Amino acid sequence: MTATTPAAPSAAPLVQLAKKHAGWFGPLVCVVVILSVIPFLGISVPDVLIRSCPLLLTALAVAIPARTGLVNVGGEGQFVLGACGAAVFATAVSESTPSPVAIVVIAIGGIVFGGLWAGLSALLKVVAGVNETISTLLLNYVATLIVAYAVTGPLKDPEAANFPIGSPLPDRARLPMIGDVHIGVIVALLLTFAVAWLLNSTRWGFKARAAGGNPIAALRGGLPVAALIVGALLLGGALAGLAGALEVMGPDGRLRQGLGVGFGFLGFLASWLAMHRPGWIVAAVVLIASISVGGDSLQIDLGLPATSVYVVTATVLLVVLGWRGTRSGEHH
Amino acid sequence: MFIEDVFAGAVRYGSSVIFATQGEVISERAGVINLGVEGSMLCGALAAFATASATGNAVLGIIAGTAAGALLASLHAFLVLWRGANQLASGLAISFLGLGLTAALGVNFVSKQITGLGAIEIPVLSDIPIIGKGLFAQDALTYLALVLPFILVFVLSRTKWGLILRATGERPEVVRAYGYDPRRVRAVAVTIGGALAGLGGSQLVLAYTLNWVENVTLGRGFVAVALVIFGAWKPVQAALGGLVFGAALSLQLQLQARGVDVSIWLLQMTPYVLTLLVLTVTSRRQSQQIPEGLKAVFGGSPS
Repeated sequence: MTATTPAAPSAAPLVQLAKKHAGWFGPLVCVVVILSVIPFLGISVPDVLIRSCPLLLTALAVAIPARTGLVNVGGEGQFVLGACGAAVFATAVSESTPSPVAIVVIAIGGIVFGGLWAGLSALLKVVAGVNETISTLLLNYVATLIVAYAVTGPLKDPEAANFPIGSPLPDRARLPMIGDVHIGVIVALLLTFAVAWLLNSTRWGFKARAAGGNPIAALRGGLPVAALIVGALLLGGALAGLAGALEVMGPDGRLRQGLGVGFGFLGFLASWLAMHRPGWIVAAVVLIASISVGGDSLQIDLGLPATSVYVVTATVLLVVLGWRGTRSGEHH
Repeated sequence: MFIEDVFAGAVRYGSSVIFATQGEVISERAGVINLGVEGSMLCGALAAFATASATGNAVLGIIAGTAAGALLASLHAFLVLWRGANQLASGLAISFLGLGLTAALGVNFVSKQITGLGAIEIPVLSDIPIIGKGLFAQDALTYLALVLPFILVFVLSRTKWGLILRATGERPEVVRAYGYDPRRVRAVAVTIGGALAGLGGSQLVLAYTLNWVENVTLGRGFVAVALVIFGAWKPVQAALGGLVFGAALSLQLQLQARGVDVSIWLLQMTPYVLTLLVLTVTSRRQSQQIPEGLKAVFGGSPS
């Protein structure tokens, strides 16, 4: 399965793969097309791949709960809290910790914090009936403030006078590079395949889809709907949290205020564009990452804030929602 | 006086949220969830601020803000009602669009100054201890926010228009049998809802912040959606939720002003945490009251 990475575009295995995994063919073509066009627009391919890493994970954080009928808009909060968890766990890394161990420990920090943050929404839903769309949205603001508190207080870099930033990670805790991209990009892609397998080929994925399709029938049929809800949100939050940890260990090298602002929301847009199908999520993420990276330089030239990229991405989603809505509506 | 100041702040800071809750009540009672209120508030806030800054006239600002909110919401109405788009996804995408648009278009207004809406003190009444300052020394829009919920209760329960609106949210086929088009009723309701959110955004910048910053609403639109659930889709209860949010904000600012030694970041969480808390306590009970037409989108899950 790893051979479907865009790094292996040779023709023969591509034909074989098309037969075996027909669902991946369309997205793969899109990714190859996008990645071969963007250099002509002055957009750097490695930058797009590096940006795709967090977006892929925050998109999966939306897609898994979506299969159980849940709308997780908390990727933003789960991401920054994951970054925060990474910074907390990074304090446990010492001079003698081997590099791979350090990286795994910090990644676990992100997974645990991000997962628990989404788990809070799951708990509120299962125990108190609080709608998860609302709770995940509101918890984003709380998470952002927790990080602001952390980087001005307990996790503040003592060397950095008045800047709201955490301590820089030691080199042993930074992600190794493969060429121009860090290893997190590969990890995110492998996890996409894992999620595709989980959703489409496992018993859990089948139950989750059944619960998402018709929760009342699922309950009557004896499916543990509450457990599926908690599981799906925990898993989603864990992936978004991992994205935060990878961003801390990768491009940024430290926790700071404003780290990855918008990554959660862009992942949300990507997952909805792809109708929560992992293959198409890869294509949607590469597209949105290209817009986002291309937008960065445009923003600097025009003096626009980073959030301007929402105008393009949200418009794309609105057009797709409007176009697809009637089409699927006709089936009813 | 501490309590008097907190109460006055609760009303003043809650006012923008009250407008947004009333708009969302109208929209949801007609059967459409609009998570785009955050976007409508932002567009309303920027349109109001830009107009007030260009013309020096706050009233023109209010008109522009209301129109901007309505315009964005009508896009949601079109996509959901005529194009069959998913309500939650469309609303959120609309909010992101509003956030991006206002961030990009608002860049030039960041350091601009405006003359906002001044407080209109009502003599004698504003001297009443504790509540006087809160209820009778506010800006014009806040007075409107305080009476609007009662007007809305009257409209919803006593007028033909209100009856049609509620019926559209509960039994659209009945409305159709009486010769009205439920889709049009819903479109009007969503657009009015957006107009009120835009009005809320206008109050926020014209009477409270008096300046423009990116994402000035900080989730107030999403909070409003939560408070409509808390208020069981009833205008006055939802407005009380707005006051609770305002009170949390006000308490936080008062504590900060009095130099209480708590991290400002932790203090700033209180309005959101409080909103989540009231939702946690009331969600189960309110789920019985959800308008029939919303159940498919919002109340689908049995747990």
